[in-house]
Amino acid sequence: MGNGFSASLAEEFAIGATAVEARRASDWLEAALLQRGVPQAQAARLTLCALEVLANVLAHGGKAAHEAPIGLLLEVILDTHHGEARVTVSDAGRAFDPLTVPERAKPKTLDEASPGGMGLALIRRCADLLHYRHEAGRNHLVFGARWSPPR
Amino acid sequence: MSTISHDDIGQDLRRIVISGTLDTAGANSVASRLSELAADPKKSVVIDLTGIRFLASIGIGALISCAKTVKARGGKLALVVDHASTVMMSLEATGVDQLIPVFKSASDAERAALA
Repeated sequence: MGNGFSASLAEEFAIGATAVEARRASDWLEAALLQRGVPQAQAARLTLCALEVLANVLAHGGKAAHEAPIGLLLEVILDTHHGEARVTVSDAGRAFDPLTVPERAKPKTLDEASPGGMGLALIRRCADLLHYRHEAGRNHLVFGARWSPPR
Repeated sequence: MSTISHDDIGQDLRRIVISGTLDTAGANSVASRLSELAADPKKSVVIDLTGIRFLASIGIGALISCAKTVKARGGKLALVVDHASTVMMSLEATGVDQLIPVFKSASDAERAALA
């Protein structure tokens, strides 16, 4: 971190593995990001990213993902030189590292386009940082956004 | 939650307005209605997404299905989107803005759908 003012804030949230709960989590996340001084554009990107990550857990995590809470951890770091917000989504579903999935080419025509499989493209576009680890039987996907505070 | 409504403009154009968040919960509540409205034999369709807060991939999938339906019966689909919104970011990130015409104004979208 640079010289001068520095602050680090963390907050946790847990939800059940349903579509309605995923919406509740994204509403919480958007409000928490804005309340902690994250700019609107970065807050919007991270909220959309969270919706996609949670949708992937619900659709592909299997039975185990639906039987345990999904955790969200929000960390915001602010100093005079940069801001960074990180969100960790953890779930008990089958191990899946989205970073190992090759990036799909964008469809060139409507006939080529498929209604599914666009979530990872959105996650990659929305996140300035993306990390994955599998630990203690849970997936931990970290995504974040960075910005420069106004001078 | 998400809402969907429509009105017919003359014989050849249907305008559909969707608002809310098109995530898993939102898409579940409007996708089947959107599919019905697109399948009706009105020739062309404009979908107004200016009231959408977040457009997740499941919502984009619903739009692609709708565009294919309209195209299959010889019509045209156009979208109305605020270009500074996260909805535009979702469309650009997935390349869908290159597949379905996107307009800032409803009147431009209607003209394009009827052309």
